Amino acid sequence: MRIFGLNRRIVRALLGSQYAHMLEYRAEIALWALSGVLPFIMLSLWSGSDARSQLGLDGVALDRYFLSAFLVRQFSVVWMVYAFEEDALLGRLSPYLLQPLHPLWRYVASHLGEQLTRLPFAAGIAGVFFLIQPQAFWIPSLGGFLLAWIATWMAFAIAFLLQSLIASLCFWSEKATALERLLFLPFLFLSGLLAPLTAFPPAVQAWVRWTPFPYLIDFPARVLSGDPVDLAAGFAAQLAWVGLLLPLVLVLWRAGVRRYSAMGA
Amino acid sequence: MVGFLGANGAGKTTTLKMLCGLIYPSSGQVLVAGHQPQRRHPDFLRRITLVMGQKQQLIWDLPPMDSLRVNAAVYGIPDRVASRRIAELSDLLELGEELTRPVRKLSLGQRMKAELLAALLHEPEVLFLDEPTLGLDVNAQLRVRQFLAEYNRRTGATILLTSHYMADITALCPRVLLIHQGQLFHDGPLDRLTSRLAPERHVRLELEQPAPAEAFNGLGHLDSLENCEVNLRVDPASLTRVLAQILERFEVRDLEVNDPPIDQLIGELFRQGSL
Amino acid sequence: MGRYWRTLRRFWGTALATQLEYQLNVLVELLAVVLSLGGSLLLLSLFFGPGRELGGWSWNQALIVQGFYTVFDGMTTAWLRPNLGAIVTYVREGTLDFVLLKPIDSQFWVSLRTFAPAGLSEVVLGLGLAAWGAHQSGVVLTPAVLVTVLLMLMVAAVILYSLWFLIAATSIWFVKTWNATEVLRALLASGRYPLEAYPAPLRLLFTLVLPVAFLTTVPAEVLLGRASFPLLALGIVLSAGFFAAARSFWLFALRHYTSASS
Repeated sequence: MRIFGLNRRIVRALLGSQYAHMLEYRAEIALWALSGVLPFIMLSLWSGSDARSQLGLDGVALDRYFLSAFLVRQFSVVWMVYAFEEDALLGRLSPYLLQPLHPLWRYVASHLGEQLTRLPFAAGIAGVFFLIQPQAFWIPSLGGFLLAWIATWMAFAIAFLLQSLIASLCFWSEKATALERLLFLPFLFLSGLLAPLTAFPPAVQAWVRWTPFPYLIDFPARVLSGDPVDLAAGFAAQLAWVGLLLPLVLVLWRAGVRRYSAMGA
Repeated sequence: MVGFLGANGAGKTTTLKMLCGLIYPSSGQVLVAGHQPQRRHPDFLRRITLVMGQKQQLIWDLPPMDSLRVNAAVYGIPDRVASRRIAELSDLLELGEELTRPVRKLSLGQRMKAELLAALLHEPEVLFLDEPTLGLDVNAQLRVRQFLAEYNRRTGATILLTSHYMADITALCPRVLLIHQGQLFHDGPLDRLTSRLAPERHVRLELEQPAPAEAFNGLGHLDSLENCEVNLRVDPASLTRVLAQILERFEVRDLEVNDPPIDQLIGELFRQGSL
Repeated sequence: MGRYWRTLRRFWGTALATQLEYQLNVLVELLAVVLSLGGSLLLLSLFFGPGRELGGWSWNQALIVQGFYTVFDGMTTAWLRPNLGAIVTYVREGTLDFVLLKPIDSQFWVSLRTFAPAGLSEVVLGLGLAAWGAHQSGVVLTPAVLVTVLLMLMVAAVILYSLWFLIAATSIWFVKTWNATEVLRALLASGRYPLEAYPAPLRLLFTLVLPVAFLTTVPAEVLLGRASFPLLALGIVLSAGFFAAARSFWLFALRHYTSASS
């Protein structure tokens, strides 16, 4: 049975080969994992600052929030647009387009393979964190963990779709990847990676909630760390963003491919 | 001008790089233009150049002219001198407005010519050319070949050339080096290499009337005999005698004497692995 | 020396010409600079409020630190990233060979080959921000202070360059170390905030091991007239040490490159 052009065999073959491929790059991926330490630097700042009281995260809650933010980021990092650009540049795209499988699935599989490779490194960094801050250690309930897992995957889906949107634009302009930089900046400051959303003034918070950014880090991180959070509203927003972006990406991608093949490039 | 031959992976590029000083010899000593290359002394670097067919030094997004100006500055060539040399060389290379168009918009042949220009701006005495005609169409290959011959004639520069296209070597190089399995197999003129690899000449005959195989006894090795078509291999020393006898014994419609094609011979040498 | 100057002018002339080929990119970069600074200020403002300080630094004083951080971030964008990031490309495409065959210092070439003008706008904005913060903090700029600040900014630039260069040079061995510079970037981001805002162990780390402190906090303290002489001396010694390390590491890396590659 095929769903979105996928069946069990294709999924297994794709994931297996991409995981094997990513294992080749484990040193590189370890460095990527390490480059995600920003939440810990911000944690050390927030912990000692006068402004801490306004965060609504007391005691170990702050430690847990930033560790969760780190973990969520580790498993929702998307670099699809760069891989796509390289494939387009090296002429690998044309054979992909000929295959009876949507090329986006290939990128999804390579991200999942990379996440699996990343897992031990991320766990290692979390382990070091607990050695330094043993009082922050916690084990989320099974239900909480599953919810956090889903929320993280939804965050990954939104981020992936956003980048796919930019990648589709590459069919029109070869420099569309520069747009990724413009998308990354608001993500960096507004997603909750550097400061929990509750740190922002209420007006900013209200406005930010209408962007996809807080659902990429802040919401999944709060679910994982066990903070009281409006689950229904969070998941609804995530679903809404996926529902909005998915058709947009598919339409734009199809138009882009048509243009690409019309140009005969 | 010296041609440098060897199978893929025989160490041609490695040797070239060693001669440029990009790789240190693990033992022994290299001396190029009176310098030890691996010191990469500026005086030495000013006297050599390296062109690699599959790598480029020109800035992709800009016209070759910009890269040339950078090179002029790096080699400390005054602007006036540089302009004169660029004019001369581009004349020789038949490059005109291509120099002011971005490199990415040039054809492979134009790009290679511009690469040569960039590599020769400082008037090096020793040129190391690694596959300078790689991937070029026949016309562009010919153009590059003509340029190298002319440049060599005008400046008397030493040129060491590797190429996959035997035509480059046969057209340009009076002296040929062949490395095989890490050893210098041949050093000398190309025809001497041919006679070493294939001591026999090929004689092709077309007869008026079919002749039996026995009729060719004592005339060399009979390769094939098909009706009137005959192929013989003959020792060069007895070639004139054999030809005279053939003309005496048979009615000959057509006769050809050939060296076996050199690339075929070398190809065979590389395939066999040894002699 | 004259040859190096002329070469440098040519290098940057061509860099400018390349940028003009992609004007849209310049626009995007400029927009990114503005967004980035806006975001940084917003984030910084979260730590402040009525009667609140960050590690003993007031809002205006912290602006100086943020300003200097922006200067060095701009320097990274304008100079370090385009050049040192390209070392990987030189190695992968084998064009490092061409660089090594030029009668000019190879470190000079790979360090100064190009620059990205968009980063300069960040440098200017950063200087403006630092000046504004200093003005608001009631700093009186004497020539002596100005000279010391400039000296310490030089020291900081040398440290930053050497750190980047050390990491970028490892790409001679590992073609894929580009993301090692991402780790460096993440750690250097700690320089956005005054050193005193961090817990003691991190302060030590950021002073001696990864001297982020000398990039932003120390020049800001000089401007505020409260830097101690031993600290300045330490900065100078560290920058000299890091630069020497970067230089000898490059020579070592080249020896490896020329002995192993083919």
